[in-house]
Amino acid sequence: MNIIKVKDIFIKELSVEFRQKFALGGIFLFAATVVFIIYKSFNNINPREWTILLWIIMLFAGLNAVVKSFLQEKKETYLYYYTLFDPVDLMIAKLLYNFVFLIFLFCMILGFMTIFSGFPVKLPGLFVSGSVLGILGIAIVFTFVSVISAADNTNATLMSILALPLVLPIVMLLLKISAVSVRLLSDTSVNEDVMLLAGVDSVLLGAMLLLFPSLWRS
Amino acid sequence: MIKIKGLWWKALGAIIFLYVLIGGMTVPLNSGITYTNPSNAKTGQRIVMEVTGYNTHFKSALQNRAWLKADSSHFIQATSVQQNDEMHVLLHFDLPFTMPSKEKVQPLTLIIDNEIDGAFVQPNALFVTVSDSLQNDLSQWQTLQLGSLNKKSGLTFPYRNILNETIRNTFFHVALWFAMFILLIIGLYHAIQYLRTGIYDHDIQSATINKVAIMYGVFGLITGSIWAKFTWNTFWTTDVKLNMTAVAMLIYLAYLVLRGASTDTDRRAKLSASYSIFAFLALIPLVFVIPRLTDSLHPGNGGNPALGGEDLDNTLRLFFYPSIIALVLLGMWMSQLKIRYERLQEKIFQNQK
Repeated sequence: MNIIKVKDIFIKELSVEFRQKFALGGIFLFAATVVFIIYKSFNNINPREWTILLWIIMLFAGLNAVVKSFLQEKKETYLYYYTLFDPVDLMIAKLLYNFVFLIFLFCMILGFMTIFSGFPVKLPGLFVSGSVLGILGIAIVFTFVSVISAADNTNATLMSILALPLVLPIVMLLLKISAVSVRLLSDTSVNEDVMLLAGVDSVLLGAMLLLFPSLWRS
Repeated sequence: MIKIKGLWWKALGAIIFLYVLIGGMTVPLNSGITYTNPSNAKTGQRIVMEVTGYNTHFKSALQNRAWLKADSSHFIQATSVQQNDEMHVLLHFDLPFTMPSKEKVQPLTLIIDNEIDGAFVQPNALFVTVSDSLQNDLSQWQTLQLGSLNKKSGLTFPYRNILNETIRNTFFHVALWFAMFILLIIGLYHAIQYLRTGIYDHDIQSATINKVAIMYGVFGLITGSIWAKFTWNTFWTTDVKLNMTAVAMLIYLAYLVLRGASTDTDRRAKLSASYSIFAFLALIPLVFVIPRLTDSLHPGNGGNPALGGEDLDNTLRLFFYPSIIALVLLGMWMSQLKIRYERLQEKIFQNQK
């Protein structure tokens, strides 16, 4: 792994993203609109619905966002990358970019939710640590699946079909952790859940790093 | 000429499965008690307890005996036992005035014993309320020598309240999950081999074995659902294990979608091999770790007894382990048929080129 190359790809991804402002704006507009629709239809959102809606919006907005990261590039670009970079570097850079992007998206959605329907979180430390680990897991799964669907160059629907079931265990853990953090449930073993989330993340990350080189060659 | 060589394991699988099917369905359940009346009494009362048995032989037995048990050293024997027929019996008890412990309401366990059915028990058969009395005389309570109880001869499955005859589902529901996991591990092995060597045959094997495993998973859900209807009175509960396995099945159904989506065989092989490794790793926390952390209705969770406790006694083991072996062998047989078909197709495809 070469840190400098990882950084280079990461910066390249960011600058590409900022050059295509319409795509970036589109995703945030999507998030804002969905939050507004939910706010108008629920009027009064209680903490349980708040956590569930937060993660559902996050999931679908995130899916939209990550699909691009591998699909927007042409086959020739990949061939070019192949001559330049080690696959692991590319993978980590893409993952890092997706992670940062999803965190940013999450903060946006959180901001909108707070403006429209309040902020019911009672245990901010737990909420933040759980969310960051969960978003990392979501980023890993989405990146892996976008590699698969990019290699298969069929279309983006395959991505959502594959990504949603794979991300379910992470989302279920996340829902539990957020339910505890808004004091819907009281659970003394919630730290185990956070550890478990970290464990799932690292296992999936390891699997992805092992599998990516062989997928990449195709 | 049919080649016998290489067929033995298929025959073995079929024979063992037949053994499980016949044995698992015909071995009778141990005797048990399904109904007792009354369920409440006061100290010092003389009560007549109406008992309905299951798989019992009250009428043909020479001597029926019954006890109410308060703790391991305090028993009261029934003064007389009236048997109406094989399944029903009336027990007369003289309840003592004093109870061995101080609590206001105490549960008593009913024990019935005869030489045909052996001894069998119903926990919490009678709740005795202590009425105010100044007597403190435990002399009416007896002790019971466990050696004097009869043992039922022959092979029987344990009788469990609520489970009743559905205990036989252990051989199918539980064994299906075990077999599914063994098959998934074999499929995983072939997926890894494919990625390492690139031999297309490994992809055929991995995909087919995974498909059979997914089929077992669906069967496991169906048998579990039917079982849940009888024991928990609902086809689906919010139990973690159920939901986690549902997620696991969704992940593997996505695997089938992935295989169906692409037409290029080499690329499909590579993608589905990677995906199946990833999916299997996602499955481990799902099925083994998360359910252990939260309460579940399943055995082994939330204070319920686990496999290997009283729930899986030696007679159940006699069919449970063979059932796993048989299901794995049958699964391999099924996948072999499909693998041979796929290999032939591949050969035709190669010849066309």
